[in-house]
Amino acid sequence: MTALPLTLPKVLAIDDSVLIHRLLQVRLQHEQIQLFGATSADVGIKMARELRPDVVLLDIELDLKNQGMDGFGVLQVFKADPDLQEVSVIFISATATMEERVRALDMGASDFVAKPFEIVELQARVRSALRVQHLVKMLAQKAQVDGLTGLWNRTYFDRRLTQEVGEAIRHNRSLSLVMCDVDGFKKLNDERGHPFGDKVLERLSRILQTGRGSDIACRYGGEEFGIILPNTVGSEAIEVADRYRRAIEQEIWPSVPGMVITASFGVADVFVLPGTPTIEDFISTADAALYRAKVNGRNRVEAAVAMHLPG
Amino acid sequence: MRLSNDQTTLRSEFADDPDMVGIVALFIHELPQRLAAMHVAIAAADHDQLRMLAHQLKGAAGGYGFPKLGEAAALVDQAVRAGNDDNVIRSRVGMLAAIAARIRP
Repeated sequence: MTALPLTLPKVLAIDDSVLIHRLLQVRLQHEQIQLFGATSADVGIKMARELRPDVVLLDIELDLKNQGMDGFGVLQVFKADPDLQEVSVIFISATATMEERVRALDMGASDFVAKPFEIVELQARVRSALRVQHLVKMLAQKAQVDGLTGLWNRTYFDRRLTQEVGEAIRHNRSLSLVMCDVDGFKKLNDERGHPFGDKVLERLSRILQTGRGSDIACRYGGEEFGIILPNTVGSEAIEVADRYRRAIEQEIWPSVPGMVITASFGVADVFVLPGTPTIEDFISTADAALYRAKVNGRNRVEAAVAMHLPG
Repeated sequence: MRLSNDQTTLRSEFADDPDMVGIVALFIHELPQRLAAMHVAIAAADHDQLRMLAHQLKGAAGGYGFPKLGEAAALVDQAVRAGNDDNVIRSRVGMLAAIAARIRP
């Protein structure tokens, strides 16, 4: 989860001249990129929304003939779109004056290349933009990943759960939440030391990542985890949670022969909640079920009551 | 004008670059059509079209290893943009054509 996708970075060239596209195809063919091309502002914006490119090479004098949207207009659209505002934009132009170059950079373009291209310079500027983009992505992801376990962190959990609750309500789709807490973790820490406690959290996190691809496992805090299960009704979520529970129980701890570590689970289906649920309601409902799992003897899965009992 | 009397042939600066051979040949092959399109645009007084054609050549010719062609196209672009009269524009397109005529694969 911490590694970035292994696909080649995408570069989108938006220029109204086929001559420039052919040239870029040849001149960037040895770079480790996927190159895409659009010959108008409209198509370029549409492709950018679909492809989510890392870098855009953008001609300033787009569509001279129809007096349509120019490169500045396209950049403005990108900057107003949350999905595209982080894209590195390299302006290319045959005529740009110093004022235009400054304007482009002030509007958020990351670099500028003059046409005709000095090939080595073009390649270097594309590579440089990709390096910056890679770091931006890494930082953005790092800020959402828990350092110890590699799971998504609390910040991400809150944001994603808000998003998923919204989607579930809008599209009338099912959604479940599983809260999980390691049994007797404080005692473990006290008796075996914190390094061992950390190891337990790491291993359990790995188990929580072995579920279905759509499950979103997060470290909620301390020894508590939250797993978001989109498109999953409560009864399925109970099964998923029970699989995790058994896997944790069966885990072998070579440094402490014979030791069994367990966890308790609370499950809530978003449709158990009355009205328009907030994520706080959702979390506390799952937490209440988790609390009952603890009270009823630990190493158990409990579901929010209304799911099974009418009223 | 000295340039228009210069009959020496022009070859792409990238004629020996194996990566470039294909698109340079295509560029040379299409050049007469681009010039013809410019003449059509002049005849139709379609200055936007003429400017676009000149502007594209200006931006690309150097990349294909023909900087002189790019400079000549820039003069056409400039003349159209400045609203020069047709004689000036025609003469500049003529200079551009003269350079294009010297280009050999």
